[in-house]
Amino acid sequence: MRTPIRLILPLILVGGGSSGSALAVDAEAAKALIQQNNCMQCHGVKQDKDGPSFAKSAEKFRAKPDGEEEIVKHLTSGREVKLADGSKENHKIVKTFPPNDMAQVKNLAAFILTIQH
Amino acid sequence: MSNQNQDAPGGKSSGWWALLRRPSVKYSALGLVAGGFIAGIVFWGGFNTGMEATNTLEFCTGCHEMRDTVFQEYQYTIHYTNRTGVRAICSDCHVPKDWTHKILRKIKASGEVWGKLTGSIDSKEKFEAKRLELATHEWERMKARDSIECRNCHSFDAMSASLQKKTPYEKHMAAKAEGKSCIDCHKGIAHKLPKGYKDPNVKEEEW
Repeated sequence: MRTPIRLILPLILVGGGSSGSALAVDAEAAKALIQQNNCMQCHGVKQDKDGPSFAKSAEKFRAKPDGEEEIVKHLTSGREVKLADGSKENHKIVKTFPPNDMAQVKNLAAFILTIQH
Repeated sequence: MSNQNQDAPGGKSSGWWALLRRPSVKYSALGLVAGGFIAGIVFWGGFNTGMEATNTLEFCTGCHEMRDTVFQEYQYTIHYTNRTGVRAICSDCHVPKDWTHKILRKIKASGEVWGKLTGSIDSKEKFEAKRLELATHEWERMKARDSIECRNCHSFDAMSASLQKKTPYEKHMAAKAEGKSCIDCHKGIAHKLPKGYKDPNVKEEEW
């Protein structure tokens, strides 16, 4: 009976912490967007690279009431981020097709929030 | 005399072959050489002009198979529109510049003509179903050529450490040291990645 709880927990956390769109997460579309934007060059799923792992980011943003919106801002504003070596750089802005499709970005943010260590 | 008798049964040459072999009685050798030279230029020029005509963006997007699919995506990428107004069209990335490889690519493109005739990708659904296979062929071709079509414009050595962001610069220099070429990391740069494509560096179970 551990498995169902483990699967449902992130959804409850995300749903309670933000817009509740986690229930409609399209994981395959989110993974495709990650691949399309080469995110894995700097982020591992569970491993830190130049940037933190997705799991670590998810943990951080799940703790915030507006976690999903924060991630969306992070992915669309090109804000300055701190890299593993301490240097700073502007984060890449996620590109979608069609351009600026916020539904795709929100889906990605919601997906990231579901990633567990 | 013996030469005249050896080509045709019955001992006589005949028809077009005989006409072509017969020495001219009307034109000088210089006239024939000059005429052949000019005809060669006209033929060669016409051939190359025709081949270059198949390298234009208009030609590539002349059929709905490309116009309604990959061309739509490409128009939103940096290779189509950018700050400095430099555009890389289809042939810049998909057709080699040097003549030998270009002609080989054009010969291979006859398979695409066959695909057009048989309607193998004549709908968006059919195209999407075949996209991974088609993209994989193109990635393999690019990899085999060490991404030369990318490197016609981009060069590791021309990358500026001060103008390029630190992270990509370091990754580019590491890729150079490892002997990687552009396509190893930059797949789907001007088009959507095919559905079903899996980055070989990411294990599915990690998610």
